[in-house]
Amino acid sequence: MTMKLAEALKVVQSVPSHAPPLQVALLCGFTPLHLETFLRAHLCKLFPGRSPNVETGLYGDLIGNLQRVAGVSAAVVVIEWPDLDPRLGLRRLGGWEPSQLQDILGEVNRSCDLLQSNVAAAAQNIPLVLCFPTLPLVPVSFTALSRASEFTLELRSRVASLSAALSHLPGVRIVDPQRLDALSSSRRLDVNSDLSAGFPYTLSHASALAEVLAGLVLNPQAKKGLITDLDDTLWRGILGEVGVQGISWDLDNHSQIHALYQQLLHSLAASGTLIAVASKNVRSLVEEAFAARDPILCETDIFPFEVHWGAKSESVARILGAWNIAADDVVCVDDSPMDLAEIKAAHPGAECVLFPRENPQAAYELLERLRDWFGKDRISQEDGLRAASLRANVELQHGMEQASPGTVGDFLRQIDGKLTLSSQKLPLDSRSLELVNKTNQFNLNGRRFQEAEWQNWLNAPDAVFVAASYRDKYGPLGKIAVIAGDLLNVNVNGLNSDSSGKRRLRIRTWVMSCRAFSRLIEYECVRWLFAKLDVEELEFDFLPTARNTPMQNFLQQVRNAPAEPHCRLSRAQFLQSCPTSSHVVEESPNG
Amino acid sequence: MAELESRLANCFATAFPELDPQEIPSVSMGSLASWDSLAGITLLSLIEEEFGLGISPDDAAGLVSFDLILHYLQKDYLQVSPEDSK
Repeated sequence: MTMKLAEALKVVQSVPSHAPPLQVALLCGFTPLHLETFLRAHLCKLFPGRSPNVETGLYGDLIGNLQRVAGVSAAVVVIEWPDLDPRLGLRRLGGWEPSQLQDILGEVNRSCDLLQSNVAAAAQNIPLVLCFPTLPLVPVSFTALSRASEFTLELRSRVASLSAALSHLPGVRIVDPQRLDALSSSRRLDVNSDLSAGFPYTLSHASALAEVLAGLVLNPQAKKGLITDLDDTLWRGILGEVGVQGISWDLDNHSQIHALYQQLLHSLAASGTLIAVASKNVRSLVEEAFAARDPILCETDIFPFEVHWGAKSESVARILGAWNIAADDVVCVDDSPMDLAEIKAAHPGAECVLFPRENPQAAYELLERLRDWFGKDRISQEDGLRAASLRANVELQHGMEQASPGTVGDFLRQIDGKLTLSSQKLPLDSRSLELVNKTNQFNLNGRRFQEAEWQNWLNAPDAVFVAASYRDKYGPLGKIAVIAGDLLNVNVNGLNSDSSGKRRLRIRTWVMSCRAFSRLIEYECVRWLFAKLDVEELEFDFLPTARNTPMQNFLQQVRNAPAEPHCRLSRAQFLQSCPTSSHVVEESPNG
Repeated sequence: MAELESRLANCFATAFPELDPQEIPSVSMGSLASWDSLAGITLLSLIEEEFGLGISPDDAAGLVSFDLILHYLQKDYLQVSPEDSK
């Protein structure tokens, strides 16, 4: 159900005037009119607490609008056929003669080349959301409408090539026509509105398109883990009743939807999503099923297995502990409404979804929802390491528990830890921004950044950026920490001054992946900051959040005082409280 | 008829949130500075959405006050509304 224009206007009017602004550009060649209103309304819904402001450009000058865009958090670029050649619109009369078709194709080629270079240039500074033509082609070709002509096929092919080429650019997100088709299935072109006002969309299409565009501006962080049931979910049948050979996931047994579910989970695991099992079952039978039946979702994709007859909520609690993430970051899939309700009562933040075992259509729609929840821009090196490093963490924790309290440092020195630090700010590293925007526990203040905001800050000459990667004998953890701040010169009164030689680093963002906990990496980072940047004092833009207790604990330990906003740590104070270095630290140009 | 007037007043209130509800029945393009061409298109789109009708460009050109729009709806819209013709 798309948003109505009246509702959109009311949403926009209800935003408090004092809310911090969110500047977004809407770049198109037509009159933005209601698309602007709908985009603003959907942004208001997706960015609560912000006041979205949509800037628009000049009519009929899409390329110029792209060249002029600046100072916004994101830009939305909506391309329609007349932007590629005005003869493909209703407001210009250049001719639809058969002899002109080749010339139109040539003009479209030139426009596509221009768009490609200008989008690439704009994307270097601003995240771009692109939408390629959504309207039906005007009846320009000489064939009947039901027959695709060589001309229209070539036209669409050229646009598809441009779309594919631009999809490779970092910072560019392209609307998937399939999703738009699902949301905007009725008439799209409003001839009356296009002729009278230069706005070519029906209200329903404008609303649906704005919803998709706003979703791509938000670009939500993916959920981190999926906890699945086994019987009548991962496979068809109750293992304890039908036995290992009785369960199925194939066409012959009318259980193909379970195979598709496994296939999706296997794909998610390969993309860095954590997968665990919570099942009321006999452990030995489950082990036998995985060994003998070789499911598509293999045993190595799953960590941990919680298989017993206890409450599912307890299994989920243990899985969250093993993954070291919060319930908000997981989706639980089960065929039992009762088990889901029991999990939800104990873990209200978790998404608990029913596997509709008797309804393949509904189950297929669940697969689409799962892809949406776990969708990510790209697969990073860390995505391939995540599950393995969590398994290794269990081994590490076991080793630390064996060591006596006074010898933890000795134990850590034996694990061959190597910390690699990089302070290179450019090119923008998407993994670092992902860490900043995903990490909750070891997080200085919970502050999140839009890509453009982050890039603008780091471009400042006094901005300091440090990314840390780590590996030890249990395997690599990849990039696990990011510190960013501003270097300040201070005088004896603590005020900024250019004449004093004393320097302070004001840390505005500091995050570390929970996979890297217990290795004293945070102390190594601080040691490096004091040594490398030659600062006398660190100032922390600390803010307590619901989940940053590990950060609060660290600041309390290292300062020997409770963490508080703008708290400071001097070099001398740190040297008194820090443990002996446990890892090899090296610098790298790119982390 | 009162319901029609009230629904139309709601459209005006949405298009011109700064307008006092008591002023709506007497408002016209000439008396309201914020009623420019773009606001006029938004108002007519709201009316089309609310009443499920399409206003032709020829008709739209003359719809420049609350009174005129109300009259247009009473004359043209109510005649073709299936619910009102029962």
